Amino acid sequence: MLPIILLSVFGIVLLFLGFLKTRAVLLPAALLFILIALGAGFLEWNKSYLYFGDMLLINNLAILFSTIVLISAFMVVALSGDFLEDEMAQPAEYYAILLFSIVGAMMMIGYENLIMLFVGVEILSVSMYILTGSDKRNLRSNEAALKYFLMGSFATGFMLFGMALLYGAVGSFTLTDIKSYILLSHGRPSLLLYMGELLVLIGMLFKVSAAPFHFWTPDVYEGAPTLFTAFMSTVVKTAGFAALLQLLSVSFSAIYGFWWVILAAITALTLLAGNLTAVYQNSFKRMMAYSSISHAGYLLIGLAALGQQSRSALVFYSLAYSLATISAFGILLLVAKQHTTDGRPDESYSAFNGLSRNNPLLAFVLAVSMLSLAGIPLTAGFWGKFMLFSAAVDRGMVWILILAVLMSAVGIYYYFRVVIAMYFREGQAGRIRVAPFYQFILIAATALTIILGIVPGLFQNIM
Amino acid sequence: MQPTQAPIQIPEVIQLIDLKYYLIISTALFVIGIIGVLTRRNAIIIFMSIELMLNSVNLLLIAFSSYRSDPTGQVFVFFIMAVAAAEVAVGLAIIVMIYRNTRSIDVGLLNKLKW
Amino acid sequence: MQTDLLAILIPLLPLIGFIINGMGFRHVPKGLVGILGTLGPLVSFACSLLLFTGFGGQTIKVPLFDWITVGHLNIPFAFQIDQLSLIMLLIVTGVGSLIHIYSIGYMKHDEGYGKFMAFLNLFLFFMLLLVMGSNYVIMFIGWEGVGLCSYLLIGFWNKNTSYNNAARKAFVMNRIGDLGFLLGIFMIMGAFGSVEYTEVFEQAAGFPIGDATVVAITMLLFVGAMGKSAQIPLYTWLPDAMAGPTPVSALIHAATMVTAGIYMVVRSNVLYTLSPVTLEIIGGIAIATALLAASIGLVQNDIKKVLAYSTVSQLGYMFLGLSVMGYTAGMFHVMTHAFFKALLFLGAGSVIHAVADEQDIRKMGGLRKYLPITYWTFLIATIAIAGIPPFAGFFSKDEILMHAYQHNKLLWVLGVIGSAMTSFYMFRLLFLTFFGRFRGSEHTREHLHESPATMTVPLVVLAVLSIIGGFFNVPEALGGEARLAEFLNPIFNLSRRVRPSAFGETLLTHSEEYMLMGISTAVAIVSAIAAYVMYVQRVSLPEADTVERPVVQKVLYNKYYVDELYETIIVKPVRGLGDTFYSFGEFIIDGIVTGTGWLVQQASGQLRRLQTGSIGFYVFAMVVSIAAILCLRFFVRF
Repeated sequence: MLPIILLSVFGIVLLFLGFLKTRAVLLPAALLFILIALGAGFLEWNKSYLYFGDMLLINNLAILFSTIVLISAFMVVALSGDFLEDEMAQPAEYYAILLFSIVGAMMMIGYENLIMLFVGVEILSVSMYILTGSDKRNLRSNEAALKYFLMGSFATGFMLFGMALLYGAVGSFTLTDIKSYILLSHGRPSLLLYMGELLVLIGMLFKVSAAPFHFWTPDVYEGAPTLFTAFMSTVVKTAGFAALLQLLSVSFSAIYGFWWVILAAITALTLLAGNLTAVYQNSFKRMMAYSSISHAGYLLIGLAALGQQSRSALVFYSLAYSLATISAFGILLLVAKQHTTDGRPDESYSAFNGLSRNNPLLAFVLAVSMLSLAGIPLTAGFWGKFMLFSAAVDRGMVWILILAVLMSAVGIYYYFRVVIAMYFREGQAGRIRVAPFYQFILIAATALTIILGIVPGLFQNIM
Repeated sequence: MQPTQAPIQIPEVIQLIDLKYYLIISTALFVIGIIGVLTRRNAIIIFMSIELMLNSVNLLLIAFSSYRSDPTGQVFVFFIMAVAAAEVAVGLAIIVMIYRNTRSIDVGLLNKLKW
Repeated sequence: MQTDLLAILIPLLPLIGFIINGMGFRHVPKGLVGILGTLGPLVSFACSLLLFTGFGGQTIKVPLFDWITVGHLNIPFAFQIDQLSLIMLLIVTGVGSLIHIYSIGYMKHDEGYGKFMAFLNLFLFFMLLLVMGSNYVIMFIGWEGVGLCSYLLIGFWNKNTSYNNAARKAFVMNRIGDLGFLLGIFMIMGAFGSVEYTEVFEQAAGFPIGDATVVAITMLLFVGAMGKSAQIPLYTWLPDAMAGPTPVSALIHAATMVTAGIYMVVRSNVLYTLSPVTLEIIGGIAIATALLAASIGLVQNDIKKVLAYSTVSQLGYMFLGLSVMGYTAGMFHVMTHAFFKALLFLGAGSVIHAVADEQDIRKMGGLRKYLPITYWTFLIATIAIAGIPPFAGFFSKDEILMHAYQHNKLLWVLGVIGSAMTSFYMFRLLFLTFFGRFRGSEHTREHLHESPATMTVPLVVLAVLSIIGGFFNVPEALGGEARLAEFLNPIFNLSRRVRPSAFGETLLTHSEEYMLMGISTAVAIVSAIAAYVMYVQRVSLPEADTVERPVVQKVLYNKYYVDELYETIIVKPVRGLGDTFYSFGEFIIDGIVTGTGWLVQQASGQLRRLQTGSIGFYVFAMVVSIAAILCLRFFVRF
């Protein structure tokens, strides 16, 4: 709970720091604040507390998910040096909004009451609407913001309606109350409950961009400034899956038979839509958007096959995915800046041609992150997939497993296009100057990806 | 928590209208909101339709809350109203921003990002 | 304790070599690159020898650390040293070291020399992981790793687009196989709750023969083997993989990586013994592959392509051996094949080196005089692969054919036909390359030279091994002790327990064995003589690609009426058969594979259109899907 309060206060402090003449203090301050929140979170390790009148539950699982969110946020902020150079930008506000949005994410992770879930989702989403449109003069950014906003609120409407129906059936918003209601109803809960659960589920599935509610994702990710795309595709996704896991495992595990078919169908659809459409893309950024849809599909396997392994698998996969995604976007930021076609950064595959010649480090970082996303062994991504797939095996979901394995083969095709472009194509990429701290973040993320790939047990001992 | 009707006194004024009518009217309002979103191209009107959906939820929550004599539902309504206000602020800002750049708020014209 | 250290050192040393050469391949001086790169494999080989000599017959497990726990499933990172992995270790590090030494001479002048050495070392590391791991997951990681290295090395000369395509084809086909393998591993996890060999096999021994789960597992694993070991229909990548540098072809695409599939099947012999259906299917695929590839080999004119198809065909033989439960015979052939096929490729490399990177055998000839060492070693390898006693190939191939004969006479007949073709195309290659007169340009002739010592020494060593390799496992009928079989015996204890009947004493009398040996030897020699008559005595050359009938042949037609008869009765049908199979393989199978890719592309293009960019459509799609979900859930009963 401490991180939530701290981050709220820090956000306000950052707004005030914005009044200072020197912008240089903002970035270190933001990083420091996130680190403090990270440390404060671990004070409650191995304890399980309910806060705010039983509305928020902090346990180890919540702390782990929060840690992933905070690490992702730390990396995104660390890669944001460009803001400070741009005269028109408002770095203090962006950083403050980022911090506030983390508060929302943490509420989604640890909620015990649906009110908390709603508030958390909205804090996170509203922050994202703002950040998506933060490039005010860019029509693409505008369009992305409006699409995100309209569709996001529309989906929120469904989620709220579902919550209202759940309340009508149960008479409470607390997860454990919903659970005990289901247990006491002797297998015949009211229709309102079923309806309510599906609608809440749909609302949340929209947020994690599961098919067929994924249509906003590619457009929004492409239009948003790259840095915030990195934030959205990691923090929002991690928080969304933590929330779904909480909802399904605490409240609705008793009616697993009711919802798993739907979730399995959505998983299959998401895997197909994400992976197949990514094949045709020519823009790296848009490919990453589809890739994020496909990873939502893999994560959904863990939910559809809800069991003992789901928790650790989801945590591990979220971490592996976040690390790889942020380093990929970090490289994209650098590379796209080098080539501009009529004032717009070039985000296509061809921008990466011959990157390895003059920038071996950047090429290596991107190659490792692509390998991890593709799930090649000795990277963290492999074990993430391995754990999720073995959860599916445990439930005997062979068809989903086969589909997922096939789709991961398709994934290799589009991830390797970048690797081929970097190593096997000729390009005129000059040497890109990278700030030391930026470099450090990229190296750390890559190292972590490889370490987790070689000794995944290290991480599991923490769990 | 009892799954069936709790043995609490519900005021007679409220009992005059059966709960299911509240459910029906809320659903009707919600569907009207959806249809509004589906059929309109003006961003403001779409936005208003979404607000209508949120308000139908508010109505539903209050109805449930009254029939159960349980205040949490009404508390939730306040949260929804507060959050909706925040959303209005941001949403209108985005729409204004788009109007400034394109002189139009027709969502049909916004399809630069696709495929 | 000492064993532990050795076991860790074996894969670690090539890895260190990779790290040094790979990280600093622009800074490490050229002279040092080769030494560093070769030292790792050599010391690994020494370690393997030490392990081998100190091996007491007991399976040793070397746990390194707890790797991962998924639910109730615990996967340790451990090495398993037993008879099977020891044999593989010796082959991989031994042949690997020789090829590293050879590469020093072969690749020295290439600009990517350091990179090349680093990749070779990395390959060796993954290959060692593959054969040493104590569970399927480690094997899978090695499996993927060698695939990746093979991809990197095929595309090593990446300036050339067609080489890149070959690399990509190899990667895609291998991935298809890998998917099968991965699914197989997940099924093993589901069925046995473990992936450790010892636990899985112990449990599997309790299953009935023909159990559906085991059949499914073995089929999926075999799909993996099909990809890696180039069996129908996933074989077309291997001939294309010859785009890589020749030492790569020798090490990866002949001696080690492609035999991973055989290793895997032998490793899982209990599961395969439990599943006779799978074995039947493997047998069918194996003999078809052996014959198809051999017949294609008859008409190839590229020296490396001939060897590539020959490798595919020999892999078919190995699987044939496994399918009739001659597991030892299969492993034996893996070993001898590693010797003579590596030798053939290295010899071919030496030839290519001498004739200025020409690979077309029609432009060679008469090289016997210029490259004596290469010639003699190549000759030895050719005799070995043709199966003429007492060279290595005879013993191993004969054992496979013997097992096939016991199992099914038809398989044996087909096997002998294949072995006739093998002998023919190999001698054809030998005669066209080394006999007659040189057919290349005058300029090239002046530069013909024997290769440096770094290249010829490995040739000689391998030649010696190709001669004596067979004596490791001389059958009893010939007064031998079948030492390899004896040594590997404990690996098959569990298989013997689940199906004792299949492991009974050989039913063949010694005279029958002699007869089989005699037939296959006779067939090989007759084919060799046929090749001699055709290509040395009558100097007939394969048709050029452009000219309808070359002048030489036209003259020959007019001279002998017999020749025309011979041509129409034997050569034409055989050649036609080869051509048909060739087009079948290259176009139909490739068509299916590329067709799948095309289908994915099309599906992608169509799906992409859904992303219209209009909010109206997105919202509409969302509402429709919600309605669909609600309807399905509440109105359709399931």
